[in-house]
Amino acid sequence: MLAQQILNGVVVGAVYALFALGFTLVYGVQKILNLAHGGLFMWGALIGLGVVTRLDLPLYAALLIAMLAAGGLGIVLELLAFRQLRRRKGDDLSTLVAAIGANLILVNMAQQATNSQILGFPFGTFPIHIWRVAGLVVSLQTLVILGCVAVLVTLLVFYLFRTRFGAEVRAVAVSERTSVLLGIAPQSVFLQTFFIAGAMAGAAGVILGVAFNSVSFDMGEPMMLRAFVIVVLGGFGSVPGAVAAGLVLGIVQALAVAFLSSDLADTMMFGVLILLLLVKPTGLFQGFETEMRRA
Amino acid sequence: MDLLLSYLPYVDAICIGSGYALSQFIALRAGLFSLGSAGFASLGAYTAAIALMRYAVPAAWAVLLGTVVATVAGVLMSVPLARLRGHFQAIATVAFVEIIVSLALHFDHFTGGPAGINGLPKLVGTWELVLFVAAVAAFFAVIERTGIGRAFGAIRQDDIVARSLGISVARYHRLAFALSAGIAGLCGGLAAFNSYTIEPQQFGFGLLTLAIGAVLLGGRSSVAGPIVGTAIFVLLPELARPLSDNRFLLQGALLILVITFLPQGIVDGLRRRRAAAGSGRKGGPEIVRTPAA
Amino acid sequence: MSALTLRAVSKSFGGVLAVSDLSLDIPAGRITGLIGPNGAGKTTVVNVITGIVKPTAGRIAAGEHELTGASPEAIARSGVARTFQNIRLLHDQSVLDNVVVGFHRHETTSLLANLCGLPSVWRERDAFRARARALLDRFEMTRFAMARADSLSYGHQRRVEMMRAIAAAPEFLLLDEPVAGMNQVEADGLGAIFRALAADGIGILLIEHNVSFVMDLCETIHVMNTGRLIAHGTADEVARDPAVIEAYLGS
Repeated sequence: MLAQQILNGVVVGAVYALFALGFTLVYGVQKILNLAHGGLFMWGALIGLGVVTRLDLPLYAALLIAMLAAGGLGIVLELLAFRQLRRRKGDDLSTLVAAIGANLILVNMAQQATNSQILGFPFGTFPIHIWRVAGLVVSLQTLVILGCVAVLVTLLVFYLFRTRFGAEVRAVAVSERTSVLLGIAPQSVFLQTFFIAGAMAGAAGVILGVAFNSVSFDMGEPMMLRAFVIVVLGGFGSVPGAVAAGLVLGIVQALAVAFLSSDLADTMMFGVLILLLLVKPTGLFQGFETEMRRA
Repeated sequence: MDLLLSYLPYVDAICIGSGYALSQFIALRAGLFSLGSAGFASLGAYTAAIALMRYAVPAAWAVLLGTVVATVAGVLMSVPLARLRGHFQAIATVAFVEIIVSLALHFDHFTGGPAGINGLPKLVGTWELVLFVAAVAAFFAVIERTGIGRAFGAIRQDDIVARSLGISVARYHRLAFALSAGIAGLCGGLAAFNSYTIEPQQFGFGLLTLAIGAVLLGGRSSVAGPIVGTAIFVLLPELARPLSDNRFLLQGALLILVITFLPQGIVDGLRRRRAAAGSGRKGGPEIVRTPAA
Repeated sequence: MSALTLRAVSKSFGGVLAVSDLSLDIPAGRITGLIGPNGAGKTTVVNVITGIVKPTAGRIAAGEHELTGASPEAIARSGVARTFQNIRLLHDQSVLDNVVVGFHRHETTSLLANLCGLPSVWRERDAFRARARALLDRFEMTRFAMARADSLSYGHQRRVEMMRAIAAAPEFLLLDEPVAGMNQVEADGLGAIFRALAADGIGILLIEHNVSFVMDLCETIHVMNTGRLIAHGTADEVARDPAVIEAYLGS
């Protein structure tokens, strides 16, 4: 029983990690707390749903299209909400508010598109196969989700640490000013990071949308909370931190829901968040550049 | 006369919104990156509602109790929160707001759960709300001109300089939390007795956004700012049906436009334009119209 | 108070020893100089004295007041004032308001009185304003009273910083590169003010890169290099000290 919960937790945690990775990437590189990240996640799910129901394409195509679309949305976010602000030297509060504003717009559009209903994927979208392995119930869905997340994370790591684009991203994360001196164009880096963040969030959206068979305009908000906990636990801007913290959070949450009450799980998570902020706001890992803001 | 009366609900909404915005305003004045007003409002509203409905506490005392509870919570929260800065403090206060929502949803035998508390008497009318906003605005305008205002201003702009002048940042942050929470709690209690029902989600992220948005839209330097900002957020969607259907989109777009192109807000922006036109191209140093303190 | 004293003060950040075993005195009524090449640790010394960072070892005292490990505001309230390397004024407020903020530690009205707007609060504010205007007169800045702080020239902004620092009559004043970027005339003007303040009894620590300026004003000069005190004495003694020459010119 316990092992089953842990397995479930790992699966959900993996998707949380995928979501948080985009969030932490944007923060690490641009120092922006993108509160509209949940909106990208939600739109990924909506677009994935649309591709399956309207265009009648298989799920893997929906996933790819959703990722591209959400990535594109991320670029739009950067261009419309944050670029102008950066030019005018906006402060921390300004970027936070711009992100809130962008999220409002995304949520509103989703409300209109879904008529505020909760939508589901049509029956049979994902084939159901179940195996019993070492006493655990393992479904095809579990394997596919874990596989997808593993592939995407590997691609991200490869991109960040093995390509020249990734090197530029990491350089800008450490110091924008120095990067400019080295001939790197921060503008293009910012677009890349937002695209990647959007794509990952969109992927997470489709995956969770299918897994829980629920897509609605407000599905982004609880995800943001989890992203907060993950980046505080794992360290702002840290890739391994986000993955590790995501898995830990997924497991802890699964156990809490199983053995405590399900709606207190959220409360507990917020409480943990505040505790973490007090005890170790920099997280457990070193990010591209950790910024400790303590009095 | 009937036409005038039909506008009263808008006045009520603007007053209540202004209360939350003023609570957010005083936090920002003191340099706090706190977005927690919605949480304290919930504490005030629920305390007042439960006191009246369950324990038959008279309404005025119930609202007072709500205010006290919220203020105490503010002081308690200030201890851990004041040790954080910037983004970290903002996240913690957002988490606080969500915790209150979760708690209100969970303890349903006490709070009525997702359905909230219904059947509250409407004891607070437009006059009371207008008086409330005027009193809070006057109060904040006064303390702005005292030593508290001077200390807040120093802490807000440069807390290292403030400390080098002997100003205890921790003490003034506690005070700011107490004031912000107390006003939010008072406003929440009044709102509870103005609108028949309260439910947990109305004190969530939506209210948080409205409070900070109103202050940024209207201006952070004077008490007129939050009130003007609230009025715009309440009235603008009512101008046309498509606008009111897309309320969030309007708010979101307004927030982005204002924060990008008019970061000081409308009231301060207008004041700046007038001052620039006044002192003109004489080439002298820009004059500050009135001393702050 | 006779002197602000540092005894065997050390400060390390992670593995870096920014200040090492430093002892010096800042006597009241005198101007003491602290010079040294960039990175010698001079600003760290000021930050340690004013409590912004806690010393890793050693003691700091102002007369009988123990300052070691105290919070910055407590140290400020004991009568230790400072200026900053980068000008840190409250930019959108008037010059007068910037100086008035400096009187904070002389406030006698309670928090409650301030919240209620009692008459004592307004009387105190008017008293502070009057004292601020007196300072402005003394510094020949009267015509800038209502001007926005950040609309002033660099030299004038430095004066505002000075006025704010001495507003509450500190016993000790730590000046971190107060004449950086000024021409000779402006610098001499400030120098005369420093002499007057010392004559009033304030113990001044003057940190500066402008070595001739320091030699002119200070009776005693301490020289730091890589966190250590390498020499101290009168201007002549220090100028002839081989360790000092090597530190500045290399060998």
